[in-house]
Amino acid sequence: MGEKVTLTIDGRVITADSEQTILQAALDHGIYIPHLCSHDNLHPTGSCRMCVVRQEGVEGLVTSCITKCEDGMVIDTHDETAENVRKLSCDFMFKTHPAECTGCPKYGKCQLASISQYVGDTGRKLKANPINVKADTENPIILHEMYRCILCGRCVRACEELRGVGAIKFDKVDGRLRVVVNGDSLIHANCRFCTACVEVCPTGSIREHKEIMDRIEGRTREDGYVPCRFGCPAHIDVPRYIRFIKQGNYAQANATVREKVPFPHSLGYICVHDCESECKHAYLNEPVSIRNLKRFAAEHDDGEWKKRAFHKPATGKKIAVIGGGPAGLTAAYYGAKLGHSVTVFEAREKLGGQLRYGIPSYRLPRETLDREIADILEGNDITVKTGSEVANAPSLLKEGFDAVFVSVGTHDGVRLPIPGNDLDGVQVNTDFLRRFETGEASVGKHVVILGGGNVAVDCAGAAFRLGAETVDMACLEAYDAMTATDEERAWAEEEGVVLHNSRTFPEIQGENGHVSGVVIQKVGNFRKENGRMVFDKLEGTEEVLPADTVIFAVGQRPTIPMDPEAFGLELTHGNYIASKGDHGETSVEGVWAVGDAVTGTRSVISAIAFAREAISAIDVYLGGDGCIEEHLADEQVRDPHIGVIENFGELKRTAPRVVPVPERVRDWQTCGPMDLGFDDTLASCEAARCLQCDLRCDLKPQKFWNDYTEGGV
Amino acid sequence: MKTFEADVVVIGSGPSGLAAAAQAAEDGAKVVVFEKANVSGGAANMGMGPLGIGTKQQMDMMVDIDLETAFKQFMEYTHWRSDARMVKKYFENSAGTIKWLEESCGVEFAGAYKYFPKSNASWHIVAVNGGIGRNGGAIMNKAIRDYAAENGAEFLMETPAKKILKDEEGKVCGVIGVDSTGEEVQCNCKAVVIATGGCGDNPQMIKERTGYTFQGDMFNFAIPGLKGDGIHMAEEAGAGSTPMNVEMMYILPNSDAGPDCIPAVFMQPNLMVNKLGKRFINEEEMQNTTFCGNAISFQKDAIGFSIIDSKIAKYYMKKGVDVTNFVHHPDDVSDLLEAIENSIANGNPDVVKADTIEELAELCDIDPEQLEETIDEYNDMCDSSDTLFYKPSKYMKPIEKAPFYAAKFRPGAYGTLGGIKINEDCQVLTADWEPIPGLYAAGTDTCTIYGDSYMFLLPGNTMGYCLNTGRFAGSGAAEYADEN
Repeated sequence: MGEKVTLTIDGRVITADSEQTILQAALDHGIYIPHLCSHDNLHPTGSCRMCVVRQEGVEGLVTSCITKCEDGMVIDTHDETAENVRKLSCDFMFKTHPAECTGCPKYGKCQLASISQYVGDTGRKLKANPINVKADTENPIILHEMYRCILCGRCVRACEELRGVGAIKFDKVDGRLRVVVNGDSLIHANCRFCTACVEVCPTGSIREHKEIMDRIEGRTREDGYVPCRFGCPAHIDVPRYIRFIKQGNYAQANATVREKVPFPHSLGYICVHDCESECKHAYLNEPVSIRNLKRFAAEHDDGEWKKRAFHKPATGKKIAVIGGGPAGLTAAYYGAKLGHSVTVFEAREKLGGQLRYGIPSYRLPRETLDREIADILEGNDITVKTGSEVANAPSLLKEGFDAVFVSVGTHDGVRLPIPGNDLDGVQVNTDFLRRFETGEASVGKHVVILGGGNVAVDCAGAAFRLGAETVDMACLEAYDAMTATDEERAWAEEEGVVLHNSRTFPEIQGENGHVSGVVIQKVGNFRKENGRMVFDKLEGTEEVLPADTVIFAVGQRPTIPMDPEAFGLELTHGNYIASKGDHGETSVEGVWAVGDAVTGTRSVISAIAFAREAISAIDVYLGGDGCIEEHLADEQVRDPHIGVIENFGELKRTAPRVVPVPERVRDWQTCGPMDLGFDDTLASCEAARCLQCDLRCDLKPQKFWNDYTEGGV
Repeated sequence: MKTFEADVVVIGSGPSGLAAAAQAAEDGAKVVVFEKANVSGGAANMGMGPLGIGTKQQMDMMVDIDLETAFKQFMEYTHWRSDARMVKKYFENSAGTIKWLEESCGVEFAGAYKYFPKSNASWHIVAVNGGIGRNGGAIMNKAIRDYAAENGAEFLMETPAKKILKDEEGKVCGVIGVDSTGEEVQCNCKAVVIATGGCGDNPQMIKERTGYTFQGDMFNFAIPGLKGDGIHMAEEAGAGSTPMNVEMMYILPNSDAGPDCIPAVFMQPNLMVNKLGKRFINEEEMQNTTFCGNAISFQKDAIGFSIIDSKIAKYYMKKGVDVTNFVHHPDDVSDLLEAIENSIANGNPDVVKADTIEELAELCDIDPEQLEETIDEYNDMCDSSDTLFYKPSKYMKPIEKAPFYAAKFRPGAYGTLGGIKINEDCQVLTADWEPIPGLYAAGTDTCTIYGDSYMFLLPGNTMGYCLNTGRFAGSGAAEYADEN
């Protein structure tokens, strides 16, 4: 900070800091001076000549972006000579920049066009001298159309000075100054793909590919720039915790995850990781292995976050939670922290819902799940009633509860109406996995799984572990369109599952009342119409898969206790609970419903995110402010200077350590989880791959003349 | 959520929205404008000026065009497949709008001009530093915006509108939008003017509503952000729909950013053939971008090849081009061959060079035998006259000397036209022709006056339509807001 100075700009007396430039002071006071090479986050160069102004008593013009404010300065931004210089400068830029804007994707958001509109340039009369260079679209993230470049140098300054990377630079090519890649490709120039260059480019010269732009269309700046965080249903701050891991601050990383979810460790094992589907590293090779990093962080939980967790004073209000799965426990956790007294009614013997009764223990160790549930219950006003079914949800309101939260999940497996579906040896996914958990499940030697999702993969894995010799899996979807994640599908294949993709299963065959095989038939033209699966059966492709056990894994429906009518809530087709609002409101005031029972079978993370929204709404309903945001991790300073990492763009995704196949199937009860995740070295390698997309949010958005007009807002 | 109060909300700030905002504000309404982009002016920032009929400029320049002549010419051209009441009202007010732009908004005009020789001098070119130049549309739009702001209009930039609200009686009562941080913005109001400029950046909607395939048989300017927002919002608010069309023209899709000499030379009345190797147009009509666009659109794979030989290339390089228009009028094209070489080297697929006609045919995927035959016939006609399509002899230049050059023209368009059903007062109508209380629309979201083809004989038409309907909508909305 310098001294306070007073100066006059266009007749207005303003105070400024003597360390500020005239341009900064003017803009701060809503006085627009055109500027192009200047950017808030970059050191000024004074090269574009747009910001020239007249200073009383000074001969010639003053470049306002490099001239510091002094006491008593009298500045005229509308001086005729200054305006002429701006017009001429603009004209010079259009000597090289295409005169026509047609076809430019930056149109409407181009700073050059905006400035040209403002200064009213002289009509691009100078003879055009286009930069003769091809569009460079080789890199899958950043594209260069340098024939639009006006040499403002903002990209070079951002890359060299701000980031310390220097992947692009000024160079003379055929006698003309140009911005070029510092090597034969961005990858070889060790680009970090932070896209700061894209952010600061005033024209359409450096952009992201259309595919990326289309994907973020309509999102806010933050959501568009940080796609992993946007993609996570709970919006966990992914780049932030990855940065903590990179710094070796693992507990802080875990605390960051904790800010949004009470099951960080369990999610680290089993999350469907929508974040990874959004990760921009996928354009280079593969996404960052975010789930495994989350798990690694959770393994280093030091519990310190508990000291920062909010706990509001008791409100005297009571909330009933029906169903103790991930959604119900999330609601119970935040509900209790908000000061309400929570009772969880769980029909089963233990809490955990799908985490316990749907996901096999060889994938999610029960000690992890139990510890996270214990953390939820610890010190919170939560009463748990297991083995307790609720027949009618609204009746709890009459029993003294002020609000009811229904999260009964989808625990009824779907048995398709095909011949033979009730033969001896035919099982259903949910029952099978529940009995696998309780030790009551059994299979024969030859198992056929019908379905191709993650649950089907779990059924297949469980079948092998129960001693099946062969496991075949048949599903409608083609290999690449299966709903199981690539990783889980790969595990199933490693274990020996034989996939039969693009198949329907018209009939289960039997002998003496027991399953003997499944008829499968190829399908073509598989598509969804109005939410229904439609396909053509290909005649003559029928074959029989011999089987003594068949497991349906083709979907799950909500478990509405006993009599759906008597449950007291309006239901939709298929017994899903009808949603009346954005936060889980139901047909009955005071009753909320969330999770799979409303949305259909989704994921643990979606159920948690939905529960957070609903509990927030319930808190508002009960008179609270609905705020469940908390800061459990330390403040993080994002260092913009990321520097050079050799061959950064070519770093390959780190594979987790996995127990090899014979052992993990044979010794599943003793060898612990099949997926061993990362150790320190692997985690640090993988964390280093993060593109740190969030750094771009720290760059000031470009402003335009119409952002400063008096009529503007 | 941020909330605002206004009499009139205008959605979009191209010339239609700006004129609506400025007019409504001038009429005393409190106006708030929602704009998706960072820059005001929309597609018209690339334009040069609007149509005017019977203006001071025309009188000063002794241009012989009056309201009756223009109206009759227009209706004859469109075969009366057009809202005659709207056309009449628009033309009748167009001179007043030019005057309003000059006197109220402070726009200067360089004069009234033709786009090409056969057209009328209805095009009022905005002066750029006192003369003719690029960027006039942008300068005009800034002037209208400044005038609107002087009259109290507020502009919410980077804040696309998402939904038009109606009260229980079905009257418009507000607009919801989202600002750049994702925060919802609601503006309560009495009237809304929709002016979002069509759906040129929405391939799916173009396909559904016009039948064209973007970058298949239609290479329109995809002005970023023109997704058909206004049309969707109007329909959601109960508006009836109109058939949609495009403002047809023809372009070299990949040559926008390149040197002007390439389009300028290849748009000369050269030999033009289709993929079958046959001529399909009197190439003199290539000056009329609508007609030529229509003709190319009618050919196999919607492509037309403009062909010259080295002698013709040298001729243009030495003497300059034969025909100029307002957009392509390079003083000299002596850099033509260098520009072609660079274009080819840079992978521009629009331009090809070949040492033989056969090779040219191969590079363009034209029937080679037919092309040879067409060129032989054409060369013969160069010695006599064009007995096929009657192109004037001065443009008949034989194709003889290698290397040969061709440019591949495709149908293009400035954007889409039509979508929202309105009457001549710019009130939005239901499918049953009933006005929706408080809802107005203007500009290309509503423009169906051309019938099947853009009316190029009266240039400046679309910007003229936009400004004038914008003013109709703005004054209608202000009056409605005042009365309700």
